[in-house]
Amino acid sequence: MKIKRIILSLLVAFGLTSFSGIANAACGKISIANMNWASANFMAEVDKIILEEGYGCTVELVPGATMPTFTSMQEKGEPDVAPEFWANAAIIALNKAVDEGKLHSINKAPITGLGEGWWVLPHTLKKHPELTTADAILKRPDLFPHPEDPSKGGFHICPPGWNCELSNRNHFRAWEMEKKGWKIVETGSAAGLDGSIAKAAERGENWFGYYWSPTSLVGKYDLQAVDMGEFAGKDNWDNCLAKPEQECANPKKSSWVKSEVFTVVTDNYKKTAGKDGMNYLKKRVYPGTAMNGMLVWMAENQAEGADAAIEFLKTQESVWTKWVSSGAAKKIKKAL
Amino acid sequence: MDFFNKIPEMDRDALRELKKGIDLSFKEFSREYGDSIEGFFDPLLHFLIWLEKLLVSSPWPLVIGVFGLLAWIGSRSIKLVIGTMVCFVIIGYFGMWKNCMATVAIISVSTLVCIVVGIPIGVLMSKSNRAEKAILPVLDMMQTIPSFVYLIPIIMLLGIGKVPGLLAVCIYAIPPIVRLTNLGIREVDKETLEASEAFGATPFQKLRSVQIPLSLPTIFAGINQTIMMALAMVVIASMIGVKGLGIPILQSISNQYLALGMMNGLAIVALAIIFDRVTQQYGQRIQKHRGQKK
Repeated sequence: MKIKRIILSLLVAFGLTSFSGIANAACGKISIANMNWASANFMAEVDKIILEEGYGCTVELVPGATMPTFTSMQEKGEPDVAPEFWANAAIIALNKAVDEGKLHSINKAPITGLGEGWWVLPHTLKKHPELTTADAILKRPDLFPHPEDPSKGGFHICPPGWNCELSNRNHFRAWEMEKKGWKIVETGSAAGLDGSIAKAAERGENWFGYYWSPTSLVGKYDLQAVDMGEFAGKDNWDNCLAKPEQECANPKKSSWVKSEVFTVVTDNYKKTAGKDGMNYLKKRVYPGTAMNGMLVWMAENQAEGADAAIEFLKTQESVWTKWVSSGAAKKIKKAL
Repeated sequence: MDFFNKIPEMDRDALRELKKGIDLSFKEFSREYGDSIEGFFDPLLHFLIWLEKLLVSSPWPLVIGVFGLLAWIGSRSIKLVIGTMVCFVIIGYFGMWKNCMATVAIISVSTLVCIVVGIPIGVLMSKSNRAEKAILPVLDMMQTIPSFVYLIPIIMLLGIGKVPGLLAVCIYAIPPIVRLTNLGIREVDKETLEASEAFGATPFQKLRSVQIPLSLPTIFAGINQTIMMALAMVVIASMIGVKGLGIPILQSISNQYLALGMMNGLAIVALAIIFDRVTQQYGQRIQKHRGQKK
């Protein structure tokens, strides 16, 4: 009796799995890294809807952050897709993995007009229009008082542990900011960095520090990029500014290195999602304005990436229908 | 039938407007009063900066000596004094001196703030049942609400740095001292109280000479718990820009620096054990002293 029941349940289970296999014959199970910042969160959700509805994949979103996700993709082949991977952090390891055929950077510019650097708020420029270059700003520490030591200028850097934290600390030395009367403001976390900008913008205070686009804050407060001058060579950047302070004895001042942002997939994705899935990710390029617009929408409505993905697919058809085949587009529209 | 399958939900747009409204009114509040609130905390900020500078710039043997002395005053145990000094030497040897001093500064100031604010609240609660009923749920909320939730308004109001960090620590660490002060005073023997009343003690005299001394061991357990909880907040406080042992831990979380994280984590543990043992011994000693007098 007992054996009969076990066999029966096994049969049922088997039947069910093979049935679901048939349903998704075109594509299998894939996992997408849901990185812990808004634009990547939004992209992951859009990818999930398009791949599930348009191409019949079963998509699982896994939480991630740049380095942990990359390490896991490289070592374990999981998750399968990193939609917005900031590759500067791991370019050497990434190139190696690509050469070995483990990973593929299939889209080398998923968002246009992005970049890192130093920024100021627009109301600062209105009052002091000359402060468009880094050199001009560094001469005026008195305009940007440090919260804990108002006699010095406060320079907001990246939260601890981010790669940009190292380069900002090296920039601090390269521009001889200590001598010019500046002091680093530890921001502690992304929330801390964002909060410091939001607070300054709301209160009409001046703010100077590191930030990047695409972000809702850049869109919302119309942050203005500071002209940091010439890029002082790849060697200066790779072998000094990007290294820990002890390994960078003589940093030279330089503009920020061009941000390499890729969509990276594992070999498993290439096999499971097939040609259609690969083509979609290759064509999927968000115009910078559309992206910043979505990010502001998310911030204003306190929406999650999932809500934003639906909003985007509903309102910006002209952008995303170019990425998919017309058959898939129809299926996605129907599902919304 | 539909009613039972789907929980009644607020209209999406109305909900959005509600959230926006709350945000907007808070932003207006912060624009209006932010500067004066910041000004209110200025003395605390200067004290914190002064203490940290003092700890970092004084010669290290002196600082360790003072810590040893404090441990001796607290515990009268030579073992503990040696343990304390060895711990600090090791922490310094592994390059964590500056961060450790910053953490000691913020922990001691927040403990101090918690004591100064918490004990009177505890006394008030013990005196009035109504106050107790009103304050208890607030304490429950302070202990359970995820800290990230109140970090957002604190940052909008006070920016990032030491003072908002201190507030975040205090919100989490103050409940034990309030609770245990209340409990300690309420547990004081009724007959002893009656005796003091019979001698004509005023309520204040009763509080000062009978209730507080008799509840000191419980209050000390509260202080001890407050310190422990303050130390548990070190990493969270670093997330809003407080310098200290939390910063390298955050660095190691995002880069998988196993050793760096472990070392700084253990430094926090060492601080916790030292604080814990010293305050506990002190609490026991004042109890013993009273026993002999009787």
